[in-house]
Amino acid sequence: MSIYALIVLLPLIGAFIAGFFGRSIGDRASQIVTCAGMAGALILSIMVFVQVALGGDAFTIRLFTWVISGDFVVDWALRFDTLTAVMLIVVNGVSTMVHVYSIGYMSHDDAKPRFMAYLSLFTFFMLMLVTADNLLQLFFGWEGVGLASYLLIGFWYHKDSANAAAMKAFIVNRVGDVGFALGIMAIFFLFGTVSFDEIFARAPEMVGQQFSFIGIEADALTIAAILLFIGAMGKSAQFMLHTWLPDAMEGPTPVSALIHAATMVTAGVFLVCRMSPLFEYAPLALDIVAFVGATTAIFAATVGLTQFDIKRVIAYSTCSQLGYMFFAAGVSAYGAAMFHLFTHAFFKALLFLGAGAVIHAMSDEQDMRKMGGIWKKIPITYAMMWIGSLALAGVPFFAGMYSKDIVIEAAYAAHSTIGQYAFWMGVIAAFLTAFYSWRLIIMTFHGKPRASAEVMSHIHESPNVMLIPLYVLAVGAVFSGYLGYGYFVGDEREAFWGASLFVLNDTIEAAHHVPLWVKLLPIVVGLVGIGFAYVCYMFFPIIPAISSSLFGPIYRFFYNKWYFDELYDRIFVKPSLYLGFGFWKAGDGNLIDGVGPDGVAGLTKDLSGWVSRLQSGYLYHYAFVMLVGVVIFITWYLLTLAG
Amino acid sequence: MVIQALAFYLFAGITVASAVMVVSSRNPVHSVLFLILAFFNSAGLFVLLGAEFLAMILVIVYVGAVAVLFLFVVMMLDVNVAQLRQGFLQYLPIGMLVGIVLLMELALIGGAWVLTPEIEAALGQPIPPVTEVTNTEALGQVIYTHYVYLFQAAGLILLVAMIGAIVLTLRTREGVKRQSISKQNAKQRSEAVTVVKVPTGEGM
Amino acid sequence: MLISDIQTVLPEIFLAVVGMGLLIYGVFIGDKSMRQVSWLTVFALITAAAMLYVFGSTGEPEIAMNGLFISDAFAHYAKLFILLGAALAVVMSVDFMEREQIIRFEFPILILYASLGMMMMVSANDLMSLYIALELQSLPLYVVASIRRDSLRSTEAGLKYFVLGALSSGMLLYGCSMIYGFTGSTNFDAIAAAVAAGGVSTGLVIGIVFLMAGLAFKVSAAPFHMWTPDVYEGAPTPVTALFAVAPKIAAIALFSRVMISPFGEAIEAWQQVVILISILSMALGSIAAIAQTNIKRLMAYSSIGHMGFALVGLAAGTETGIRGVMIYMAIYLFMNVGTFAIILSMRQQGRMVEGINDLAGLSKTSPGMALALTIFMFSMAGIPPLAGFFSKLYVFSAAIEAGLVTLAILGVIASVIGAFYYLRIIKVMYFDAPVEPIDDDMPRETKAIMAVTAFVTLFFFIWPSPIVDGAAQAASVLFGG
Repeated sequence: MSIYALIVLLPLIGAFIAGFFGRSIGDRASQIVTCAGMAGALILSIMVFVQVALGGDAFTIRLFTWVISGDFVVDWALRFDTLTAVMLIVVNGVSTMVHVYSIGYMSHDDAKPRFMAYLSLFTFFMLMLVTADNLLQLFFGWEGVGLASYLLIGFWYHKDSANAAAMKAFIVNRVGDVGFALGIMAIFFLFGTVSFDEIFARAPEMVGQQFSFIGIEADALTIAAILLFIGAMGKSAQFMLHTWLPDAMEGPTPVSALIHAATMVTAGVFLVCRMSPLFEYAPLALDIVAFVGATTAIFAATVGLTQFDIKRVIAYSTCSQLGYMFFAAGVSAYGAAMFHLFTHAFFKALLFLGAGAVIHAMSDEQDMRKMGGIWKKIPITYAMMWIGSLALAGVPFFAGMYSKDIVIEAAYAAHSTIGQYAFWMGVIAAFLTAFYSWRLIIMTFHGKPRASAEVMSHIHESPNVMLIPLYVLAVGAVFSGYLGYGYFVGDEREAFWGASLFVLNDTIEAAHHVPLWVKLLPIVVGLVGIGFAYVCYMFFPIIPAISSSLFGPIYRFFYNKWYFDELYDRIFVKPSLYLGFGFWKAGDGNLIDGVGPDGVAGLTKDLSGWVSRLQSGYLYHYAFVMLVGVVIFITWYLLTLAG
Repeated sequence: MVIQALAFYLFAGITVASAVMVVSSRNPVHSVLFLILAFFNSAGLFVLLGAEFLAMILVIVYVGAVAVLFLFVVMMLDVNVAQLRQGFLQYLPIGMLVGIVLLMELALIGGAWVLTPEIEAALGQPIPPVTEVTNTEALGQVIYTHYVYLFQAAGLILLVAMIGAIVLTLRTREGVKRQSISKQNAKQRSEAVTVVKVPTGEGM
Repeated sequence: MLISDIQTVLPEIFLAVVGMGLLIYGVFIGDKSMRQVSWLTVFALITAAAMLYVFGSTGEPEIAMNGLFISDAFAHYAKLFILLGAALAVVMSVDFMEREQIIRFEFPILILYASLGMMMMVSANDLMSLYIALELQSLPLYVVASIRRDSLRSTEAGLKYFVLGALSSGMLLYGCSMIYGFTGSTNFDAIAAAVAAGGVSTGLVIGIVFLMAGLAFKVSAAPFHMWTPDVYEGAPTPVTALFAVAPKIAAIALFSRVMISPFGEAIEAWQQVVILISILSMALGSIAAIAQTNIKRLMAYSSIGHMGFALVGLAAGTETGIRGVMIYMAIYLFMNVGTFAIILSMRQQGRMVEGINDLAGLSKTSPGMALALTIFMFSMAGIPPLAGFFSKLYVFSAAIEAGLVTLAILGVIASVIGAFYYLRIIKVMYFDAPVEPIDDDMPRETKAIMAVTAFVTLFFFIWPSPIVDGAAQAASVLFGG
């Protein structure tokens, strides 16, 4: 077994030690153990990256066989190719930073070992997900990160809202996971295996295969791909299944940075890229991916405009950026999707951790309306937020520009209706992104202080243990785009990705040859957005108030997140509650319990009493029963057999 | 043959009738007397079968010993018949019903009684023909040879019955003086007699 | 009678002679010899078991005593467990009888003769030897049921058992006479030949039904079970322990032999009746037990239910079915002996108690006892991997193989219902607050029996082959294998 298996195992060991022995070894030791485990995993990940992604030497470590059931064989295996290597850098890089940051952020919490254990456990599952060699193992990691996400969102379990958010995240993800599970089954049905290599090798043969699903005769690959994508939608909080992500901000901020910005939510994108050999042969599924991605990008951006909770703004921004990644994948620009995933992980984690620092400084205040005028008190955090926002807005030479531009260009270069739709949605969303990012910065840091004097007096710069991760991520947010461009989407991309991505039409190549205005447009709208934000919130703060009253319905529509929560509440939650209540009272209580356990038990008890009464103790009763028994047996025989 | 058949039905009829009387008569002493009548008629049936030894044994053992013992017990125990017969009438109809059903079913098979030749050939005959040895002798020939196993086992049953009777009824009562011959024989003069010197003229 | 005959019947002769010797010894020494006589009886029973294997090790059928007696692997298997059950019952009784002031040296001797009767039952090869053996087995049991002759309940139990036993013997004899009348013989082989040649007449079937009624009474299968709860409750507990085990094994073995050996060809004539008896017993055993508060009464219903399960295997009428029956009875022995070892030790401040609620909180006062009883109860409920699960598995799978799917399903339902009261005992022991603790003065021998039987019940699945192979051999010999 190669030493690289430790990449996956170190976080698990850390989680195990901190989780089970955290109480006995103490807070400090738990933090050291988990951080050390993550650091080790990060170093090994870099080695893997160098060997696999840069050296082009992909390999697989087979640990042992997991399931053998007839033809169904599943291994535990760690697959290291470029796609995995990139994810390893992202996951372990951000996770390590978040681990370190948490030491500072959670310093006032009572359950530090538990928190560290959950973080490491999450990392383990995420690593299982990205190193999976087959769909079942991927599903294991997939569900595992869902579990860890649940545990971490509900980390402050004494808060009702945290518990509700944790359950919401878990339940909404169920919807996606049903799709995913069905997708795995469909693939097993089609290919007779869940192993990636075999699926990919045989995908071309399956083109045109028909498949009957819920009564509809349809293209088999398309169905399988769409089912998988439904899973991805749930995990990556795409349009319709996004409702859990903003609520998930109830969790501690490092969790938001790690799980709900950089890693877990990108698992859907990873899945689509991983399954690219399948999706490429299902063009309809790709169109759906692109459409959903583009819609999410614009939808989340509009909602982000109106929110006041600092973390929710960033959460909607994440949602929106995930939309970019999906429509990139949807137009076959998987490299661009992964590139954006890569850069986004740095600057979004930076933004979240920066926001965390702000919240920490503001005595756990998250509402931007109660902030303002603090930039001089926490200059480093302020600078970090600037860097993150510049990258997010796609300002030239920051990481976001490289990745976002190639995504938008690829959409244009796809030369399809969906591509055009995605392109324009992407451009508008880019403008909105820049706008709300600066709205956030201005509302949080500038203007008059709106917090109470007591809070203001406590504002302080975060300790170094929280700042150092910010520096590291800031470096990533600045340079990852420039450094990665050549490898991810530039001239070296084919050597870089090797066999890990598969494309029929190279959209990225086409994206390099789009007209100049297409290349410049995202940058220009970004800069315009920044300027517009300054005008609205810095110089003429009256404008937002006027516009929100002027466009009242639209504003409220955006502010209420397009009424999705209310809609779902009305369509799904309430009816299922009533249905559940009905099933519980009428179905389970009266019918099943009444007739089943209680009824049968009652009947049995009655019978029992009746039989006991027969046992009268009188000899002649007993003798009589015996005689009657014989007579009945004889009669029975004469009537049935002889008769 | 006709006389034999007539005799059979006479004995059988009286047996059944007296059996009914055993259970239905009001006086327990009458019941026992009807039982004796049933035994006698059964003995008559044995005689018809040519099993005169069994007939005699039945009379001697059952009538001479068992039935007399019954009579003795019934008279001694003063059985309260009225109490015993409580519920007799109450259960009579349903009991009759079950009995009649069973009777009809038995009649049904009795009517359809056909013996296959193989079975008829295998039907038991007294091992030596009756003409050669007497009934008693024939029985004596097999009971200690062919059927010694059953004979011994029956003996064991009787042994167990004896043990049971003793276990359940024998009581050693306190304060009852029993004669113990060995004790009497073992007694020494010194234990029983003390010589007391009595001064004359003074009394004990 | 030849020497070889004597050799075949030697274990039985040995027991009969030893019994008489012990009787003489006991009469001379008096009741204070009970402890010695008891242990000598145990020794004699074990010696008899050993003799079975010394003199009849081949397991080949040997017919002796003019065709009245058969000694084969089936008889050996059944006799082994009969003797084991009887010996264990005697061992458990010694201490109990002394404490309860029922000091009668005849008690172990009566059990010895009952065991002899049981051995003769399973070796019967003729209707006559069947009947004689049955009576030799029954008579001592009637007596020991009322051995506590000053107790009204005990004498009532004995008397009820006796009267109903006489009735059942009457039915059995009536059946025998009809069978003799319709087949012309009392010998099993001759009957089998007659059935094969002449087919099954209605009269023969009615004879078989009457015979079955008598046998069903002995195994206490419904609807001939009525005596069981009263007798179990009334008889002294060691006697109940004996009743629950050894006579049941003997009677089930006899039942199986009578059904398979002479009437194997007439299976359609008796299969229906066995199925009916089996269903009735399973249902009654499961349902009626729920309302019980006395643990001995509960065990009575439990044994009725178990007989129903065992008869499922007989109803199949196949070799695997009989194998299942034999395995069932062996495992039944261990579970029941162990349970009774515990019931025998249920005392509160020296006073015997029999209520299920008296077990409350046993897990706290005597955890070892509670654990053992839990094992037995789980096993009786048929919960894997305990032995009771496998015993049910063997009979049900045999029934399914024979196409009696409905019967197997009904059996499973009955065992689910039955699980209720077994689990209730566990619940009482573990979750109810103790009212008064059970005395912790279990005699050494009883403790050892409890531990060993619990061990066998728990770990049967690790090495089942001694019982399973023995049962398979026993079953095959019955089918002329």
